[in-house]
Amino acid sequence: MAGLAAAFGSGAMTNSIAELEDADCILVIGSNTTSSHPLVATRIFRAKEKGAKVIVVDPRKIQLVHQADLHVRHNLGTDVALVNGIMHVILANGWHNQAFVDERTEGFEELRGVVEQYTPERTAEITGVSVEDIRTMAEWYAKARASSIVYCMGITQHTTGVDNVKSLANLAMLTGHIGRESTGVNPLRGQNNVQGACDMGGLPNVYPGYQAVNVPENREKFEKVWNAKLSDKVGLTIPGILEGLNSGSVKAVYVVGENPMVSDPDIHHVEKALRSAELLVVQDIFLTPTAELAHVVLPGASFAEKDGTFSNTERRVQRVRQAIKPIGQARADWEIIQDLSTRFGYPMNYESPAAILDEVAQVTPSYGGITFDRLEGDGLSWPCPNSEHPGTKFLHAGRFSRGLGLFHAIEYKPPAEVVDVDYPFWLTTGRVHVHYHTGTMTRNSPSLHEEMPEGFLEINPQDARTLGVKSGDTVRVSSRRGEVLVRVDLTTRVRQGMVFMPFHFVESCANILTNPAHDPIAKIPEYKVCAVTLEKAA
Amino acid sequence: MVEKIKTEVQQLLISGKIKGFLGLREQHGQVGPYLFTDAQDLEGMVIGDRLKPGDSRYPLNKQLMRIARCYPDEVFGVMVRGCDERGLRTLFGSNQLNPEKVVSVGIACPQELADACECLKPFPDEFVAGEPAEARSFQTVAKLDAMEIEDRFKVWLAEFSRCIKCYGCRNICPMCYCKDCTLESRDFLAIGSLPAENPIFHLTRAIHMAGRCIDCGLCNEVCPADIPLRTLYKKIADIVEEEFHYRPGYGEAGTRPSFKILGEDLQH
Ligand code: SF4
Ligand code: SF4
Repeated sequence: MAGLAAAFGSGAMTNSIAELEDADCILVIGSNTTSSHPLVATRIFRAKEKGAKVIVVDPRKIQLVHQADLHVRHNLGTDVALVNGIMHVILANGWHNQAFVDERTEGFEELRGVVEQYTPERTAEITGVSVEDIRTMAEWYAKARASSIVYCMGITQHTTGVDNVKSLANLAMLTGHIGRESTGVNPLRGQNNVQGACDMGGLPNVYPGYQAVNVPENREKFEKVWNAKLSDKVGLTIPGILEGLNSGSVKAVYVVGENPMVSDPDIHHVEKALRSAELLVVQDIFLTPTAELAHVVLPGASFAEKDGTFSNTERRVQRVRQAIKPIGQARADWEIIQDLSTRFGYPMNYESPAAILDEVAQVTPSYGGITFDRLEGDGLSWPCPNSEHPGTKFLHAGRFSRGLGLFHAIEYKPPAEVVDVDYPFWLTTGRVHVHYHTGTMTRNSPSLHEEMPEGFLEINPQDARTLGVKSGDTVRVSSRRGEVLVRVDLTTRVRQGMVFMPFHFVESCANILTNPAHDPIAKIPEYKVCAVTLEKAA
Repeated sequence: MVEKIKTEVQQLLISGKIKGFLGLREQHGQVGPYLFTDAQDLEGMVIGDRLKPGDSRYPLNKQLMRIARCYPDEVFGVMVRGCDERGLRTLFGSNQLNPEKVVSVGIACPQELADACECLKPFPDEFVAGEPAEARSFQTVAKLDAMEIEDRFKVWLAEFSRCIKCYGCRNICPMCYCKDCTLESRDFLAIGSLPAENPIFHLTRAIHMAGRCIDCGLCNEVCPADIPLRTLYKKIADIVEEEFHYRPGYGEAGTRPSFKILGEDLQH
């Protein structure tokens, strides 16, 4: 999100999901769309049916490859180089949109300077993608009437995650494929409400609506509404909290709806940090591995037990309605937080989620016109600044949120950890269709569990032969951080020299292996690349 | 149209002939199934034409089976279109619902919907609302039948390659009522990967719909991969009719298919 915010001034999907259907070219990069965002995949299928060119850029042969006009398997972590190479070809052929660049952007000359260095030949060498494919991608993407980029964690979960996103933003601005219907740069958010959590200021540096905490006017505004003194310091990210626990500067942690004991890189390190907390409070709907370490567990209510709103990946705010009363001692998250706050000496007395949304509208310009009574039916997409506003289908029409779109000239940097003689295999991680994240919910579902009861490691049959393992055998996978035992699945979905593991399974936890090295700005760890070694387990 | 249904339902409820009426209700800008139990409160009742005819249909008979299981002694009313009536008959025939405990309230579908569905009988035998539309033949099947068999197979493989194995087609199907589903059995199908095992997953389901599918099209509508499932099952129904002279849900109410199921004699 940081990358898009820097380039455009707003960090969210620029266009709505349904618009994808009418794109003429869709570039899917770092998104296993059919597994992770199947209803977005529906739109890609429909676009394809209408004749759109679909380009899938993914080291793995994911399901969407069946629908692709071109599948490109680049080396892990070489996205910046690839996009620079594509832009090089576009510029060399004059396929860019000069008028758009002139009127709507800044920083073009710097970009051109860097991009010139990425000749197709050099790009091919770094990325492993053929010169011909680079040219085809450039031509299809640039020349289409409306091209759309779809990306996900395959782009962000790198030490160069923000650079990767900025590169995609560069590509869209260079060709003018932004600010119009069926174009744009579209990050897919996984959780039904992760966009909403960010919108509400669930980030260390902003108040609701991405209003920075260190801007004095913002602080004053919130101090007035909340009638309290507020800090002007940016808070800690998850890596920062874990470091603080280790060094003793952080004493207590309150975890709401997260499961870092499965989801964070280098689990051994996470466990050590969490165990050193003087107070660990976990609020969740199930007793997760993280909750098992907690001093206090607060049972939250599930989606079916509460009222409120969710904001989805296309910025659409929709109602969720209580279907059943909370079971046992469970309570809605807002009620728990309200009570905690009151006991800490700052009384909160919201009557209902509707009352909270009214306050959101009061302090958050992009939610200014969003109230419960306007959310019947399909909901509203922000920005929706006032009560007459119909919501916004796509962003940046005529003007970027930050004014001019900003090009970032970006050099390719290799991943933090690369293969060597001791750790000769590239490991990448991801999701499968039947499980969500750490499986807190999905692994408790009998039918989903039955569909995929355990983790696995995808390995190319050639590599398996060299190692002397057959399908179903167990291997020991080791990285510099730890080792796990896991069953192998022989498949050409992965190339030789590369292996893949889903990260949902605590008993064969991919994140014991992954590298906590993270992006300097977004602090997102490099889940998508690390080096491992394999041996057949006895 | 809905007013006529309301009047009918009101009378049925007031007379005590039915305990409740399973229909559709619009609430919060969405249409969903609803069990109306109070003759004085039929507000929001709709027939499921939100933006265009039949766009908000649900497998009401499937829900009726659940309700009937909880209240086996009560009589319930249910809204039926042509396909739903075929469904009821077939479910009566396989003892999933008791004809004594169900009162259907019929509506005839408009021509636009009948065309889109290629429906052989777009109205129930009796209906209180709507005008009967003309029947339509299976053009989609004819088109595929005109292709060489290898090409046809290729078309289907390509369609199935999009399947994300959400089981939506099975879950919404008013005729899928088995407790154990072959589609989830490791003994028959590969599990755990995407797309669903191609073409075995789809052919397995297709075979299981033989003699059952009443051509409501809900599977097709719900499929997030836009796989033309209905066309596949229409073809299956054609084959069954050719071989066994039976098409589920057509013909006189209560008539049994003219073939016997293996081992059936032994049960009697
Ligand atoms: S059309 Fe589809 S949903 Fe309807 S009965 Fe046939 S298989 Fe089931
Ligand atoms: S509804 Fe469509 S995508 Fe889902 S399992 Fe059925 S065929 Fe596959």
